[in-house]
Amino acid sequence: MNVDELVRDSLREQAAEQPPLAPGFADRVLDVRRRRRTRRIATVAATTAAVVALAVAVPLLETGKDEVRLASEMNKSDIIAHPDQSPPRDLIAAGDVALAAYFTYSTVRTSKDTAVRQRTYRILDQRTGKYVEDDRWSMVSVAPGMRTAAVLERDLPVKRIGLLDLLTGEVDRWIPVERGVAGVAFSSDGGKLVATTYNANPDLLTRQDYDSNGDGKKNDYEPDHTTSHRTGFSVVDVGSGKADWRKVVSEDRQGIVNARQDFAFSGDGTSVYTGLTMEPHQQFYDLKGRKVPTPPDERYLHWSVDARLSPDGRLAAGDFAGDARTTASWILDPRTGKHLHKVRGQQLLAWVDNKRLIAWDITPGDNEFHNALVLVTIGSDRTLPLSGARKGNDGAAGRWTPVFATR
Amino acid sequence: MDAAGQESFRAFVAGRSSVLLKTAVLLSGGDRHAAEDLLQNALIKAAGRWQRIDEPEAYVRQILYRQQISRWRLKWRRREVTVAELPESGAADGAAGVELRLVMRGALARLTARQRAMLVLRYFEDLPEADVARILGCSVGTVRSTTHRSLARLRELAPELAGLGQAPAEQLPSRDFSPVEVRP
Repeated sequence: MNVDELVRDSLREQAAEQPPLAPGFADRVLDVRRRRRTRRIATVAATTAAVVALAVAVPLLETGKDEVRLASEMNKSDIIAHPDQSPPRDLIAAGDVALAAYFTYSTVRTSKDTAVRQRTYRILDQRTGKYVEDDRWSMVSVAPGMRTAAVLERDLPVKRIGLLDLLTGEVDRWIPVERGVAGVAFSSDGGKLVATTYNANPDLLTRQDYDSNGDGKKNDYEPDHTTSHRTGFSVVDVGSGKADWRKVVSEDRQGIVNARQDFAFSGDGTSVYTGLTMEPHQQFYDLKGRKVPTPPDERYLHWSVDARLSPDGRLAAGDFAGDARTTASWILDPRTGKHLHKVRGQQLLAWVDNKRLIAWDITPGDNEFHNALVLVTIGSDRTLPLSGARKGNDGAAGRWTPVFATR
Repeated sequence: MDAAGQESFRAFVAGRSSVLLKTAVLLSGGDRHAAEDLLQNALIKAAGRWQRIDEPEAYVRQILYRQQISRWRLKWRRREVTVAELPESGAADGAAGVELRLVMRGALARLTARQRAMLVLRYFEDLPEADVARILGCSVGTVRSTTHRSLARLRELAPELAGLGQAPAEQLPSRDFSPVEVRP
């Protein structure tokens, strides 16, 4: 026997020993694919969902300029819809919630082999009620009341967090942070921020040495799914600007890491959570960075479903409940995980009140990516379009991702 | 992906995933978990353009190979591979084929992803060098030299293999002797 034959025999023997995959592998693949697609919006939108959860509208900064009324306060209509606008130009709102901002992604090359997946935000101008591009920021989290947003500058990670006044469009105050920050999210009362720290830009992409999208060109950039540069989080007291850093590295198994996996506050703000790429999909930490059990109400939430708990805490937004030809989502009992209701909608984004939610949905039979913001109601099959439908497929330029806040 | 696409995707995975998994396990040096991740990622990519792929199996295989190599390339350091059996020296003799194969398996697990991919393509898939080059997006010369170096590395890792010969047809040059177009 020679080496070649031995290599051949060894490989064949090892291959033959492999037990087959568990049934349902295809569904697992489709499920992970769907989650990865939604993950891109989950990062920012989930943080605002936490803001939505308690529906507390607290104007964050006492600036003494409140004689100027906010555009989101001037029009108090229950539903402000613009079904002809995609991307939106004028304020969209329903119940307690409004579209505070939205962003689009673009891939910006930084060297021959690297690029950055960069967000460009359009933020509600509270003077005019229109969404206005502000390309200074790589990350925006809007506080309840929609008067203030926490912003991070370009070139992540950054060493300061800005508090942007949505009336003037200027930063009122900079909060310095000790460790580089690349993600930021308000607590539900607007009093605290959780800033996720990284020692490298989590939005960095690397050019693949194969043709990933099959267009005949080796020009595809992808995030590194093998290495996490997350270092932990800082909890920032917005009033005093005091920030305490806690070390929490990624616990994901090597090889299936989300380069960006930000922290967000639990519903009551006493702990923070991070998504995991594998079961149990989420891990909670107290504000000192110690692992804590999942709060009983949040046990059945998934970090990629942005809406989370209803304002009264009695209902939880669940996962996709449709099938091949219909779109629907589950509403769960947060304590037991029992499926209580099925509502319309591909993906539940934010609770409007205790019965209604804003969701992505499509016209039945249409392209799954051509979704519009709609209002769905528990116990009703009727949906009300709030925006126009997005165009293009996942990843196409110009597709916008909403950021909600209470108004 | 529409309903018909999802159905055909499920049928493909049900029918072919176990075969594809074998390749993924070999590429991962016997690490079953890493293999399932690798296959899952390749299938996710394929699902993204399912209705535009003519030959799904060939497509998924190509992604498996290239992804494995590029994943390795992207890492800061080479990932340590855990193996059930260490390629200890001494135990095997020419007759103990089983033991020798186990030694070989351990040594294969310690190759780089790229070296292992070459050997899997050449000896498990039995592909000609030109096909290996096409799949991995490199030259035939690179296939030859990498294969040669990989076999040499196996001998280094497992001294038990030292007594084994090399197939006459595989007198592989260490330099690139692929045809070069000469212009007058």
